[in-house]
Amino acid sequence: MEFEGCNFFRQRLVLSTLSGKRVKIRNIRSKDDNPGLRDFEASFIRLLDKVTNGTRIEINQTGTVLFYQPGLLTGGPVEHECHVQRSLGYYLEPLLMLGPFMKSPLRAVLKGVTNGPSDPSPDLLKITAVPLMKSFGIDGDGLEIKVVKRGVAPGGGGEVHFSCPVRRSIKPVHLTDPGKIKRIRGTAFSVRVSPQMANRIVDSARSVLNTFIPDIYIYTDHMKGQSSGNSPGFGLTLVAETLNGTFLGSEVVSTPQGHGDPVLPEDLGRNCAKLLLEEIYRGGCVDSTNQSLALLYMTLGQQDVSKALLGPLSPYTMEFLRHIRDFFQIMFKMDPQKPGEDECKGGEKILMTCVGAGYSNISKTIK
Amino acid sequence: MEKKEQKRHQHKHSGPKAQKKNRKKEHGTETEQDERKRNPRAFSVKSAVRMAKTFHRAQDIKTKKHHIPLVDRTPLEPPPIVIVVMGPPKVGKSTLIRCLIKNFTRQKLSDICGPVTIVSGKKRRLTFIECNNDINTMIDLAKVADLVLMLIDASFGFEMETFEFLNICQVHGFPRIMGVLTHLDTFKDNKRLRKTKKRLKHRFWTEVFQGAKLFYLSGMVYGEYQIQEVKNLGRFISVMKFRPLVWQTSHPYVLADRMEDLTDPEAIRLNPKCDRTVSMYGYLRGTFLKNKCQVHIPGVGDFSVADVSFLSDPCPLPEAIKKRALNVKERLLYAPMAGVGGLVYDKDAVYIDMPCGHANKQQEEVRPTTELVQSLIGTQATLDVKMAASKVSLFTGTAALTPEEVQENVKQNPMESLEWDEKVQRERRRAVFADQDEEDDDDDDDDEGDEEEISDEEEDEEEEGEENEEGVATMKKHDKTAMETAAPPVKKQKVEERAEMPVFADSDDELEKSEGEETEDDESDDEEMEEGEPAKKSSGPDSGLCSEEDDDDEEDDEDDDEEDGDEIVKSKMSSKHPEEDEKDTEDAEIGYETAGALRWKEGLAEKATEAYLRQQRAAPNLRKLVYGTVAEEGEEDSNDEEELGGLFKVSRPEKSKKVRADAMDCSRFQPDSSHDWDQVEMLASIRDCFVTGKWEEDKDAATLLKEDDELYGDFEDLETGVVHKSKAGNKDQAEGGNDDEKNADNDDDDEEEEAPQVKFDDAEVQKNKRLEKKRRLKERFNTQYDDGDATYFDDLKEEMQKQAELNKQEFEDMDDEVRVQYEGFRPGMYVRVEIPALPCEFVTNFDPHYPIILGGLGASEGNVGYLQMRLKKHRWHHRILKTRDPLILSLGWRRFQTIPLYYIEDHNGRHRLLKYTPEHMHCGATIWGPITPQGTGFLAVQTVGGIKASFRIAATGVVLDLDKSVAIVKKLKLIGYPYKVFKNTCFIQGMFNTVLEVAKFEGASVRTVSGIKGQIKKALRTPPGALRATFEDRLLMSDIVFLRSWYPVSVPQLYNPVTSLLMPVGQKDTWGGMRTLGQLKYDLGIRNKPNQDSLYKPVVRQVRHFNPLHIPKELQKALPFKSKSKQMQAKGKTPRDLQRPAVIREPHEKKVAALIQALSSVYAYKNKKAKAEQNTKHKEFLKQKEKEDAERQKRLKEERKKTYRAMGQKEKKKLKSSLKGASKDN
Repeated sequence: MEFEGCNFFRQRLVLSTLSGKRVKIRNIRSKDDNPGLRDFEASFIRLLDKVTNGTRIEINQTGTVLFYQPGLLTGGPVEHECHVQRSLGYYLEPLLMLGPFMKSPLRAVLKGVTNGPSDPSPDLLKITAVPLMKSFGIDGDGLEIKVVKRGVAPGGGGEVHFSCPVRRSIKPVHLTDPGKIKRIRGTAFSVRVSPQMANRIVDSARSVLNTFIPDIYIYTDHMKGQSSGNSPGFGLTLVAETLNGTFLGSEVVSTPQGHGDPVLPEDLGRNCAKLLLEEIYRGGCVDSTNQSLALLYMTLGQQDVSKALLGPLSPYTMEFLRHIRDFFQIMFKMDPQKPGEDECKGGEKILMTCVGAGYSNISKTIK
Repeated sequence: MEKKEQKRHQHKHSGPKAQKKNRKKEHGTETEQDERKRNPRAFSVKSAVRMAKTFHRAQDIKTKKHHIPLVDRTPLEPPPIVIVVMGPPKVGKSTLIRCLIKNFTRQKLSDICGPVTIVSGKKRRLTFIECNNDINTMIDLAKVADLVLMLIDASFGFEMETFEFLNICQVHGFPRIMGVLTHLDTFKDNKRLRKTKKRLKHRFWTEVFQGAKLFYLSGMVYGEYQIQEVKNLGRFISVMKFRPLVWQTSHPYVLADRMEDLTDPEAIRLNPKCDRTVSMYGYLRGTFLKNKCQVHIPGVGDFSVADVSFLSDPCPLPEAIKKRALNVKERLLYAPMAGVGGLVYDKDAVYIDMPCGHANKQQEEVRPTTELVQSLIGTQATLDVKMAASKVSLFTGTAALTPEEVQENVKQNPMESLEWDEKVQRERRRAVFADQDEEDDDDDDDDEGDEEEISDEEEDEEEEGEENEEGVATMKKHDKTAMETAAPPVKKQKVEERAEMPVFADSDDELEKSEGEETEDDESDDEEMEEGEPAKKSSGPDSGLCSEEDDDDEEDDEDDDEEDGDEIVKSKMSSKHPEEDEKDTEDAEIGYETAGALRWKEGLAEKATEAYLRQQRAAPNLRKLVYGTVAEEGEEDSNDEEELGGLFKVSRPEKSKKVRADAMDCSRFQPDSSHDWDQVEMLASIRDCFVTGKWEEDKDAATLLKEDDELYGDFEDLETGVVHKSKAGNKDQAEGGNDDEKNADNDDDDEEEEAPQVKFDDAEVQKNKRLEKKRRLKERFNTQYDDGDATYFDDLKEEMQKQAELNKQEFEDMDDEVRVQYEGFRPGMYVRVEIPALPCEFVTNFDPHYPIILGGLGASEGNVGYLQMRLKKHRWHHRILKTRDPLILSLGWRRFQTIPLYYIEDHNGRHRLLKYTPEHMHCGATIWGPITPQGTGFLAVQTVGGIKASFRIAATGVVLDLDKSVAIVKKLKLIGYPYKVFKNTCFIQGMFNTVLEVAKFEGASVRTVSGIKGQIKKALRTPPGALRATFEDRLLMSDIVFLRSWYPVSVPQLYNPVTSLLMPVGQKDTWGGMRTLGQLKYDLGIRNKPNQDSLYKPVVRQVRHFNPLHIPKELQKALPFKSKSKQMQAKGKTPRDLQRPAVIREPHEKKVAALIQALSSVYAYKNKKAKAEQNTKHKEFLKQKEKEDAERQKRLKEERKKTYRAMGQKEKKKLKSSLKGASKDN
């Protein structure tokens, strides 16, 4: 399969690895002043190489053409020094997708920037993606994301432990009713700044959310010394939990030191709360960050009908759907569901339906 | 049906039965009582342990019966059941198939060639296929068989083929197997016949399972089996149930019953050996087949499918099931390879076989399209003439036109007409401008479609209306759509009128179609035609619905559009009026363009009013947005969408591909800028998402509470005696009356209170309410009642059941065309699979007697890698297998030759290479081969060509693991010799060649033959490869030092698919492949020279010399004399001074000496004599003495005896007296 450009780089490589189809990506930033693959992409390729066996990667001299022939997923203990240009979420998202299909349970130690401006943080994935995976039958005590050290952009120095059990096949799901939100939880963190910052964030966020529901609790997490990384920063992660076990999350991080205007913690808290409201407005059983993860698991499920109610599809998810069709020949049925006349439940939702590919984990050994 | 009056039962009043009954009546009074009541002690609990045991046992038996519940994925209309008829040659396979076919369809088939599909009953179809004795065929058919009819020649007994086939079946999932004994008429003796039957039956049972069905076909009547027996067999077949096999249910497959070569004849003429494009037809089985997937054709290789399409079923089940048996018309037979089937359909053509046989005539009568066939048979005109005529006569796509409209725009309207294109051999839809040819024969069509047409048209119009605002670029398309219909301004009106109604809810499919037309270059058009799709589609790729997608400024699209336009024009030209018409249309286009531009501006102004309409269209848009061929949207369009904050705004930002392709790869979804969360309205819009918001009617706590009240009604608190009454009940009581009625009334009242404005038909509402309530009550009762013994198993089963239902329902009401895109082609469909680039031998050497199977491959099953498998030599194969000897494996769909390495796992997890497979044990094997899911069984044969071995299956096993690297090691012993021995240190040479090698092994442990352990310390500078090692004891120079190590072995990367189908006809079972080493040597006449050391020679033993024992002087001194070494040296020469001189005697002295000599000898003689005398005397004396002694002893003994006896008597007396005394005492 051939693709162009560096966008959706991770999707392509992940789907290629899962489907066993080789991929060639041309014209990677070929018109750019600084052509070819960036360091963080190279780092991602290296990570893929670590969790697989027999992968063949060919990159041309300028780095504008990549050929990727996937091997088999091995897993096991992996330690990876992620590049600081992107935060760990960039690397963690694909690992979440690949994790259940390894030969042996994955125990990854990722080091780098935990909270960056462009990618979901491990905190967010921990509270939204992990419960989602559980609904697909990927549970047990092995599934865990743990932030050991926190390092914010640009310095990094954080560490995240991710472990994931191995599954032979994925269960079909029927996530059609998100239920009503029963509580809001969150974590406000601050590193290498005054611990007071976190409290200020909490207050401002609560002020916005209190109009909806009283059951709000936001933890403050101040890390010091060894576990506080190399740069100062603070941020907030919020999650809304519904009665049916849907988790909608949002997060905001302070602007990295030396990159733009500093933000006030109060503004940050308010922004994050508004983002959460936006997320609730979009609604669905899967929040916007994990749409593609849920769709992937639906695709790789047994040959049964899976359903999931999503909010509006993000561009990333749309491209992901196209890629799923290319790699697995699976199309989703999309039925928009409008809210009723007098209901105030946010925007339109989309009910995604598909028949699983009947994928089975070909890496797992049987005894 | 009327109920028939049945004869009443007559009781017997006399006779044995009546007596028996009487007797029973008399005594029965007690026996009829409940046993438990009658004999309570027998049923009392005697032992808790015993009771627990019995309970456990009962539970165990119950649980043993459970199977893991699986989701039932069988399609509603399953594909025909594949029945493989196999057996050794000349056993009667073809005869049996012929008889069965005759039994089911009343038709005779002379040559059984390829699969034969028949309809056997109301719900069942069968595909018969004959299996010859080529092991390739046996393997392939075992993989697709649902039922195997195993023919056994009873006069001969079992043959190896039977057992081979059974073993093949066991490996690839065990299909149903039924044995059929033939040639039973050869037995003259009835007893022998019975015995043989029994013997064969029991042997068959041990192979399949106890009680497996074995049929007896006793004799032949006119070369056929007896009708009754065949009928019985047929009955068994048609009621048989099948279990799902893992491999078959997880992979799609097609057993091809037809093959057509689609290659361009010109290409074949130029190069007869060019690769062929072939289409194959057959029922899809197994699971969903996706378009463009990979398939494996056993015997040919891996191919990717170019195109899959489904055709109408050539052998359909009867539609309505109302009667008991099938009538003659419904007993269909389809066997294109055998030349039956008369009329065969293709995606784009219909082939008519003109038969002369009786059977085929019957066949044709059955066909639904008989008229067409008859008309075709009847025509006298040539094909060309007919084609020309068809252009005029066949107008089906006129649906969009009302007669008036036809009048109005005769000139502009493009119509669809079917044409036979000779080049591509298919029907084509040509767009014809209807100005010149009036429809003459199609009026009725029009009439039928009128109503639909109108509505469809309106939809079209609406679409157009929306396009209006969407930009100038759309205009072109708009023109074309405009051409279809009459006056644009009128349409506008319509748009506004209809804006309130959700018209587009179902427009999904049409949209899909119109898009499909774009993607599949017009190929599927005729099918749509057949379905009688509305005329909107006949407008080709430019129907209004897709315009939104096309309206961007990409050049390609524009070009396409223009081309399309051209085509239309051209077609029109061909249909007579040349230049002037063209001009006309062009003019018209220009005119519309200007008009359109104006309207576009209007549209802009009305943007806001049409928001709702846009939302209506969201569904098709979304689908197109994601999966459409062109994903980009126009700029203008996106702009207003952004303001609308709709669903689909997001994919817009990609104005051109370039920008998007290099954008940042980020999964975060940026929030909508239009949402301002400071505003109260926005906040209010999500209020109901929280538990604090408003709840739905059916989930609201208040409603639920009320329902509970209704359900449980009044109750009385027994402790306090307070009677609680539900509100409803109170009311009802006040009103009085029947309970049910009351409740319903009450509900009704409530309903009215809540929503007084809703006035429906009261009775209807009431009824529904009641039904709903009943259902809920029942549900609740069920859940409560079942809760007691609902097990995990039951829950699981229920879950599976639900899933199966959902699977069935989800896409049920969809059109097949759309459905296959979501699901893939579902099993049971008759599909046509087009495969490009097949080797030409496949076509030129095609033999319909060999099955062609298209086996679908799952994700990454097309790749190759290392496979670890557990393997066991078959116990009937008489030779063990050698590592690195090529072996032919049948794994998954594939048959291929590969080179396995055998290994065994040591206790520490090390995989140690074996030279040969163990005799009666499993071992591991690693091969380089196609990735196949773990748990798949495989079998191995050494050759597929001919029958050389007595039992061809060499080994069987299962795949354990897949990997891209191997970890097999073999033992390697490095040998070295000491060349200098110090105390415990030793210099060793001959083990390595360089210093570097030694450095790698520093610290490794070594050992001598005599068992002295040591360690490698360091390399020596000279000689190269020498090393210093230390040992736990001192080495001898004669010792040999070993270093034991493990050397990784690489698996040869040989994967050679068996291409038996490519062999010439008649030689298909002679595929050779790579030969084993043994075969090679045998063929080339090479014999190995034996190892010199292994030869036997006479044993020559050398005499061994030992060095003398040397004891140090100090030690010697300290030793006691006894232990001192004795110096037994030979005496040396006595020195001269010690030598004594010889004595020479005088004559006198000589005389004296002689005298003395004589005297002494006399004395000695005397002495001797006296001694002898003395001796005899003494002997005599001793004899005498002995005699006396003996006498004395005798006397003494006598005496002693006497005294002892006396003593004994005395004692006895004493004892007696004492006893007496004692008794007296007592």
